[in-house]
Amino acid sequence: MDWLRWIIFVVIILAFALSFVMAFILLERRIVGKFQLRPGPNRVGPMGMLQPVADAVKILLKEDITPAKGDRWVHRLAPIVAFAPALLVFAVVPFQGKGPGLGFSLDQPAALADLNVGVLYIVAVSSISVIGMIMAGWASNNKYSLLGAMRAIAQMVSYEVPLVLSIVGIVIASGSLSLNSIVEAQSIPFILLQPLGFLIYFLGATAEINRAPFDLLEAESEIVASYHTEYSGMRFAMFFLGEYAYALGVSAIVSVLFLGGYKFPFGLLPQSFIWFLAKIFLVFFLMLWVRSTLPRVRIDQMMAFAWKFLLPLSLVNLLLVAAEGVSTIGFGWAAVGINVILAIAFVVIWANRFYRVKGVTVG
Amino acid sequence: MGLAISFWLLAAAAVGSALAVVLLRNVFRAALLLISCFFAIAGLFVTLGADFLAMVQVLVYVGAIAVLLLLAIMLTREAATGSPFSRWRIGGAIASVALLAAMIAVFRATPWKVADQSVVLKPTTAELGARLLTPESGFVLPFEIASVLLLAAVLGAIVLVKEK
Amino acid sequence: MALRTEPIVVNMGPQHPATHGVFRMRVTLDGEVITDLEPVMGYLHRGVEKLAEARTYTQFIPLTDRMDYLSSMSNNLAYVLAVEKLAGVEAPPRAQYLRVIMAEMMRISNHLMAVGTFLDDMGAFHTPLLYMFREREKLLDLFEMVCGQRLTYNYMRIGGLSHDIPPEFLPALKKFVRDMPGFVDEYDQLIRENEIVLARTRGVGVLPRALAINASASGPVLRGSGVKWDLRKTDPYLVYDKLEFDVPTGAVGDIYDRYRVRIEEMRQSVRILEQAIERLPPGEVRSDVPHLVHPPRGEVYGHIEAPKGELGFYLVSDTGIAPYRCHIRPPSLINLTALRDMVLGMKIADAIITLGSIDIVLGEVDR
Repeated sequence: MDWLRWIIFVVIILAFALSFVMAFILLERRIVGKFQLRPGPNRVGPMGMLQPVADAVKILLKEDITPAKGDRWVHRLAPIVAFAPALLVFAVVPFQGKGPGLGFSLDQPAALADLNVGVLYIVAVSSISVIGMIMAGWASNNKYSLLGAMRAIAQMVSYEVPLVLSIVGIVIASGSLSLNSIVEAQSIPFILLQPLGFLIYFLGATAEINRAPFDLLEAESEIVASYHTEYSGMRFAMFFLGEYAYALGVSAIVSVLFLGGYKFPFGLLPQSFIWFLAKIFLVFFLMLWVRSTLPRVRIDQMMAFAWKFLLPLSLVNLLLVAAEGVSTIGFGWAAVGINVILAIAFVVIWANRFYRVKGVTVG
Repeated sequence: MGLAISFWLLAAAAVGSALAVVLLRNVFRAALLLISCFFAIAGLFVTLGADFLAMVQVLVYVGAIAVLLLLAIMLTREAATGSPFSRWRIGGAIASVALLAAMIAVFRATPWKVADQSVVLKPTTAELGARLLTPESGFVLPFEIASVLLLAAVLGAIVLVKEK
Repeated sequence: MALRTEPIVVNMGPQHPATHGVFRMRVTLDGEVITDLEPVMGYLHRGVEKLAEARTYTQFIPLTDRMDYLSSMSNNLAYVLAVEKLAGVEAPPRAQYLRVIMAEMMRISNHLMAVGTFLDDMGAFHTPLLYMFREREKLLDLFEMVCGQRLTYNYMRIGGLSHDIPPEFLPALKKFVRDMPGFVDEYDQLIRENEIVLARTRGVGVLPRALAINASASGPVLRGSGVKWDLRKTDPYLVYDKLEFDVPTGAVGDIYDRYRVRIEEMRQSVRILEQAIERLPPGEVRSDVPHLVHPPRGEVYGHIEAPKGELGFYLVSDTGIAPYRCHIRPPSLINLTALRDMVLGMKIADAIITLGSIDIVLGEVDR
């Protein structure tokens, strides 16, 4: 009954993604509010819980405008192309593994499709979204949109490289491209085993989904709303929801690749999808923290950061992991010690080497 | 049965979008259809059991090549009004029909080996990796030569764009 | 290999999130690099100078509030000082000290807003701005105590103030003065060594010393370029010559220096407030000046060091009840003229934060 299973999983994933996206929107506004010494939205429903619903209703009632001199069909298609990959990512994410878990036990991993090329699938699918942005930027016939789309391309193409290289380290350590096997391989969470890889992946992914401090695409103080400047109504909402869906996707992938997915750390408690969801929120909180703390970098600084900082570090990380794999050290606790120390050393040395402007005091 | 249907649908989509790529005047839309053509080909790979190839098709062709193509088009003037080379269209048509004829001829002349229906499709990734990187298979040297070639290309690109 | 390229002209504004109001920059871009910039002003022109001719001297005070609406008290002060100079009256000592207190409170409030929105332009997503709003809110409460208003105060009068401060004002101000240095340290600690802030602001939007003087820039923009020029020191008015404070200056004249100058000025303003509270004399807050002032025939230029720079009022009297001619020298406008020289060859993102670092209010630029 594969078909039945697929249909059930499609429904589950849709419900999961959409409800989590709503929750993320509310959480972001509430938590960032706390960071900024204000309550955040708290009027609609208990603790403002219905705020996303109110927003959705409002935005659905807005007129859907297409620029007169824009490319009408491309303009209409763009939000869909930008939004769809965000959902596609969840097709390979395992929610719970095979065997006994907390409360119930499964006879196969709880994922829509446990592809044996899962990691490649994720990288491939997430590279599609940029096409949606380009389409929007070009079809809007607006200079801000065009500038935004160009920034999108530069950013995506650059950050893909360190991102993929940091995943390769994971693949070496787990010996598989399947996300479920990667989770199973994490008796020690890979964040401890490859802290450098985690750092690179997290930064690269933050840049890929255009969150602060790499949110140059949405630099509203520079290029207004970038590629979705000319969008309104539901089509704007699709871009907006898409951003959060990507944040959700990245949180889920980071949880799977580095935090041990549905496993409780060190197997102290039985596996469950609850741990997975908790880790998703944890990673998302980390993103919020970064966003409400740091200002935005400039475009050339961002490119330099990708090529001159992250890329060398990711190569070093790859070399390190590969060396440990072929040597007698292996991927045990000894490697954790070595890697944590080396990661700190590399980051500190390379950060000092890379960019350091001294502040001069005024007096 | 399902595989056969999706194969033919994807094949039709690939041919259709490929035709649209050459026939459309709007270069940007043509590029978008090229992307859909790439996707259809990736789908074909999936139906043929080449999972790794399908993913790499999307990753390399859609994620990198098509994106750079779109960037180049966006920087071009009058991308919406058409390609300036349309006066060569008759020559181009003749050349491509000749190429198609040659390909069909070769295709028909080749004795294709049809696999046994009972063959179980296995993941190809590990196998590909082993073939490329183990000394027994004999592909290590070509693989390394390709890497050196890529490195040279990267360096060449840097030298070309570097400001004096 | 010469490729034929074409610059893009982008109209930033008049409706743009980063122009702090209705201001337009016609930016010519080569990729992301600015090759030309032309500021287009006047969208908020209300003819304030002409309106002055149709109002009595006192009636014009509320209109000055609406020029630089982030430092209304300073506008009030500059205007009434000019009129007092024209009419030859002087405010009583208590009013003079209270005016200093108001002006310095206004300076802190303005600099909080300036630094906050500048970091906002840098993409800090409102967090610093809202931190600074916390303190600005306390200042606005204090202003509300004094005159019942939070934005447009209309508190100064020719020959003094409209009324004395309420009894609860001084304790509240003392508490603020006690707490404020800690808060300034907090902001500074969060921002001064931030790697991204440094990378974005050091050596960006540089206004060289000579150019700053030639453009007749003033305020933090001028001092950031290393010129020690502060009207409170060089041409003291009110009781500033009796108060102790330093004039912070920058070294390079980049955005970072302007930011640092503002932070230091907040500290100095707190110092001034401390001394002014201590020495505040009792007595009248308004000398005996009639509602309809008839200044003698003549002309006068009165200027003060407003938070944004030199704010000057040039008034001509024909002995009537209204000025014959009024001209205003708004600091934002003059500082803004140096924008093009600061951003040529920079990236578009630099232009935005450079504009933010000048600290303009369009109500004042266009008047």
